[in-house]
Amino acid sequence: MHAFSAKPNPGAGIDYELFLDCVHCGLCTASCPTYVVTGNENDSPRGRIYLMRSVTDGRLPLNNQVREHLELCLDCRACETACPSGVQYGKLIEPFRIAMDQAHDGDRAPHDWFHKYVLFGLFPHPKRLRWALLPAKLAQRFGILRGMEKLGLMRMLPQRLRQLVYTLPEKLPSEPALPEFLPAIGRRRARVALFTGCVNDVMFRHTNWATARVLQQNGCDVIVPRDQACCGAIHFHAGASDPARRLVDANVKSFAEVDRVIVNVAGCGAMLKDIGHHWHDDAAADRTALAAKTRDINEFLDELGLIQPEGEINLTATYHDACHLGHAQKIREQPRKLLATIPGLKLVDLPETELCCGAAGTYNLTQPEMSAILSRRKLDNILSTGARAVLTANAGCLLQIAREARVRREPLWIAHPIDLLDLSYRKEKPPV
Amino acid sequence: MIASRFPSLLAELRRLLGDDHLLANHSEMVVYECDGFTIEKNCPDVVCFPRHTADVQRIVQLCNEYDVPYLPRGAGTSLAGGCLPVGGGVLIVFTRMKAIEEINLRDRYAVVQPGVVNVWLTNALKGTGFHYAPDPSSQGACTIGGNVATNSGGPHTLKYGVTVNHVLGVEAVLTDGSVVRFGGPAEDYVGPDLVGLLVGSEGTLAVVTKVWVRLTRDPQAYRTMLGIFDSVDAATQAISEIIGQGIVPAALEMMDQGILIALEQAFQFGFPLDAQAILLIELDGLEAGLDEQRDRVVALCQAAGAREVRRADDPKERLKLWKCRKQAFGAIGRLSPSYCTQDGVVPRTKLPHIFRRITEIGETYGVRIVNVFHAGDGNIHPIVLFDERVPSQVKAALDASGEILEECIACGGSVTGEHGIGVEKIPFMAKLFTPGDLDVMARVRDAFNADGRLSPGKLLPTAAGCGAEHKPHGAAVPTVERSHPGRRAAL
Amino acid sequence: MIAAPPKTLPLSEIYTPATQADLAETVRAAYAARTPIYPLGGGTALSYGLAAKMPGWGLSTASLNKVVDYPARDLTITVEAGITIAELQKVLAAEGQHLPVDVAQPDVATLGGAIAVNMSGPRRYGHGTLRDYVIGITAVDGRGQEFHAGGRVVKNVAGYDFCKLLVGSLGTLAVVTQLTLKVKPVPMSAAWLAVDTTTFEQAEITLAAVAASRTTPTAVEFLAGSGWNGEADDIGGELSESAGRVLIGFEGTAAETGWITSKLQEELSGPQRMRVFAEGAASAALLARLTSFGCEASSAASPLVLKCNVRPSRLMELVAEVRKLFPSAGLLAHAANGILLVRFDGTSTIHDIAKSLLGVLQPLASKCGGQCVVWNSPAPEDLTRAVCWGPARESDVALRRVKQTFDPHGILNPGRFIY
Repeated sequence: MHAFSAKPNPGAGIDYELFLDCVHCGLCTASCPTYVVTGNENDSPRGRIYLMRSVTDGRLPLNNQVREHLELCLDCRACETACPSGVQYGKLIEPFRIAMDQAHDGDRAPHDWFHKYVLFGLFPHPKRLRWALLPAKLAQRFGILRGMEKLGLMRMLPQRLRQLVYTLPEKLPSEPALPEFLPAIGRRRARVALFTGCVNDVMFRHTNWATARVLQQNGCDVIVPRDQACCGAIHFHAGASDPARRLVDANVKSFAEVDRVIVNVAGCGAMLKDIGHHWHDDAAADRTALAAKTRDINEFLDELGLIQPEGEINLTATYHDACHLGHAQKIREQPRKLLATIPGLKLVDLPETELCCGAAGTYNLTQPEMSAILSRRKLDNILSTGARAVLTANAGCLLQIAREARVRREPLWIAHPIDLLDLSYRKEKPPV
Repeated sequence: MIASRFPSLLAELRRLLGDDHLLANHSEMVVYECDGFTIEKNCPDVVCFPRHTADVQRIVQLCNEYDVPYLPRGAGTSLAGGCLPVGGGVLIVFTRMKAIEEINLRDRYAVVQPGVVNVWLTNALKGTGFHYAPDPSSQGACTIGGNVATNSGGPHTLKYGVTVNHVLGVEAVLTDGSVVRFGGPAEDYVGPDLVGLLVGSEGTLAVVTKVWVRLTRDPQAYRTMLGIFDSVDAATQAISEIIGQGIVPAALEMMDQGILIALEQAFQFGFPLDAQAILLIELDGLEAGLDEQRDRVVALCQAAGAREVRRADDPKERLKLWKCRKQAFGAIGRLSPSYCTQDGVVPRTKLPHIFRRITEIGETYGVRIVNVFHAGDGNIHPIVLFDERVPSQVKAALDASGEILEECIACGGSVTGEHGIGVEKIPFMAKLFTPGDLDVMARVRDAFNADGRLSPGKLLPTAAGCGAEHKPHGAAVPTVERSHPGRRAAL
Repeated sequence: MIAAPPKTLPLSEIYTPATQADLAETVRAAYAARTPIYPLGGGTALSYGLAAKMPGWGLSTASLNKVVDYPARDLTITVEAGITIAELQKVLAAEGQHLPVDVAQPDVATLGGAIAVNMSGPRRYGHGTLRDYVIGITAVDGRGQEFHAGGRVVKNVAGYDFCKLLVGSLGTLAVVTQLTLKVKPVPMSAAWLAVDTTTFEQAEITLAAVAASRTTPTAVEFLAGSGWNGEADDIGGELSESAGRVLIGFEGTAAETGWITSKLQEELSGPQRMRVFAEGAASAALLARLTSFGCEASSAASPLVLKCNVRPSRLMELVAEVRKLFPSAGLLAHAANGILLVRFDGTSTIHDIAKSLLGVLQPLASKCGGQCVVWNSPAPEDLTRAVCWGPARESDVALRRVKQTFDPHGILNPGRFIY
């Protein structure tokens, strides 16, 4: 064995037994979106584990080729669903990527301007983000973005920023902020806190409102702590561990008083449920406690027993399994069961529903090419069903699919399952 | 390979494929040093991703020109080292030739490229009333090209037959660089059945670039049952009775307690963990005849001593049950850091006997063995558990596996029912076949692959005996340096 | 026992080895002397292929007719190649089992011979062909080298699959001496339905509907032309010269065949008249009649027969052409498998049809995905390679190499196939 670098080995902190769980059977390969696209074993879960293990063993240097294959991973965890051996892939790739960024060879800055100012500086801060998006909002209102596009001016923006602008929803919502408390309607069955998210509260505040109303309808007192923070997933998955921990600990404090924390963004939910084992310090137990009381909205309503909505919605819709709901939280049946209660709704199966749409947190910003391929594939599958609406329970997927549909001028309605449930309770119709 | 000429071969391959369809640096080729069989490893010298038959043809021609070994690879799920680049050289990876070119329901065939994942074809046929019958347990990942190479089986091949029974024709690049079609969309082409010869030849005769597969009408109905037994002996007796009575279920699988525990951890199906063995029995066919057949099967199981025969007819439950069964090998990772899956076959009447011997052999060598069988066709998969980091355990596992396979041969069976010989089982070929048999096989291989550049070191031992790889006459294939820690530890 | 004296073969001697080892010994002697060997089974298919021109020895498997091992509860049997099909079926029937492959003249035809020519009949749609049943094989190659492949277990991928390779190899690669077969239980009942069609389009619609049926037919046959109306009750009544008839055979338990009957009537409901006409013994008689079509080689008037294999959807195109070219011929198709047999009356010779065969039928069959070959010829000496076997195929080069491997001196059935 050779030591290729004096720098700490990125695999050093990883429990080696986790590597050994992989028996190299290869059953995960075809479940991996990047492998399905490239056909390169290096872009498969089995291959990535092999690469990480080889670096850890000192058989391979951590060079740019190895990095690129590891960075191309969506962290969608579809492989965990496919793996019969129970390999905890997330527990390998996430710490490895963090360590990889910390041990960078100097040939590439780990966190460039985009990470620093946009991903970390803007996204986790709803207020800043809202301000930052104000020009975009105005530009939208006056059709300036379309105009810029037509004139080719958009190309003057840096690529990743351009991706970001393209991903913005057609119309940024303008609802007021949620109050701190919304009382249960009818007999009180539970008292819960709502996690509103960062990007989510800016782009999908209407879904937060819908979630709160559906909870009220189901007899829940809803508390919306003002001082709650971003879940920290953006930082954590980009390898910025310390800022992530600070955000998590802020949330531990904000949600200390409640028994249930309800999340309607799959990515945030997966993060909150995972925080218990990311950091091994004195606060680990408190984080584990927050993880234990976190529930996805679909999961929670299913557990609670949904009160039948009555508004009829005559619509053919399909449901896309968000990776962080299906693969990471294993929540697949619950949203389908909830949707099945809506009178008149026809839910059709989506081919390759388990395949990532390419959003994957900020992946669409950092790996735009692969993201675009997956996004195209997702929409093709959606169109093949003949559905007029797509339902999915994650902010990233909603933005990604909406953008793809917009670019291709497909008149689809893309919404959170709770949006539809809320419409049914309110006896209103969707905009399709 | 003659090292000095390698850069020029690489340059030619690059010119052909471009940088996007070729890997040539060590860091990216390490993942291709082995497949599902990890005991032996060897890195290829270059990895190519052909886009179409013409690419494959040109690659083969270049390998001839430069006198370099080459080897096709699909998804790399072989459990016998079928994709191990024994002689290094050029690895031709088919994962980018993944188009389903044609589906013809009226004529009941589909034309697929070799890189099509088995289950993709099944998915593409959903709703048509037809399916592709061979369903290897790795069907979610393995490719049809790989299935053709190894003549893959699967649980439902008991009734429907293995891959060769469902392949009508192939297009292949021969070692002289010509592209030839064998068979095709019709049946009964005159003359010797070369398609039948190529299927299962483990990539040693030609490189398959397209496959015509037969499509099968979906059965109208299923009856799925779980027979729960307090002893493995009773379960194997029941299998023997069912087949002996002339009932051929669509699938008839046995799982012992060891495997049930692992599966229950993985999938929480609700298996009774105190049972010693479970039979998964599936009948299919016309609704009109199935209940009668089920009653017979239930009675036979009960007569053999089944504690309970549970129905699993609900479609969701059925799918979950099959998922559990098909992922059984992988779930072993939960029991042990390393395992060695064996693939023996015995006449079905010998199942009770072989199981008793497996238990004895496990005790003799002090290794734990769990079992999941394609019981209906006598195809056993004893899985020997060990820790690859403990040399004495590796040796015990390999010795126990070897003895089980010897016992299969003694029973009149075979050392592989579906995984293939690969590199793993080469030493057994001389035990299964006479020198005369092997001589004819070697001559056939030479008729297609005279220079031995295609898939060296696979399937057949050299005349010298077992274990040594095929050293082709005439070709300047380098002496292969192989790393086989497992075998070395065992020796 | 050889049904007809092989007058078509230039034999100086006929050897009938008593054991497989003796047979290998004989081949070794022939190899050393470079003497051609003509393997003989029941002699029912000797007029398939080109005429043998080089004098040589007949090598009969008549004495190799033992049942080696029959573990009935394993649903497998091992027998020597010279066993007749009828004897094999009798042994199996004692255990309620059978080999569900239809072979004409079962009293004389041997298993080895059936394998050499890849014999099949109506039930190939439901049960497959011999290639699906041979799991182990022992044979002697052209050097006198005995070899085996496969084994006695139903699933086995060790080594090259010579079991498949030798099916249809026309005795040109090796002399098969012993076989292990998978067998099946005999079904409880069988029945046939008939649908008369008046146009080829209508026939295709019916056949397409059967291919997509929810039922599970074991045979889908199409009859047309002459020669059917003697004992017409067997085939479901008189068949008018201008019409065609689709016969659908199925088997299973009484409940299953009952359901199939009503389901097919529902699925095929159209202008056609459909009727169930053969059950029980009548069903067996019909099966025998269809199986023997085109395989009358050893009878007094050995007719000229062509065999075409095409994609099933193109079958009617071929049938239409044949009807136009040869209005007096009799036609039988294993329609769902795309196999068509064309039987000429006793007076037609190859000279009468060669032009149409080369100019129309062979190219058309090729366009429809397959081939057209001469399946039986009363005068093999009149055949040319192109007439008998059709145009050369891409795979012939590889085939010749395989031939060279098994039979380096070219002593096995020389001149009868393409090499």
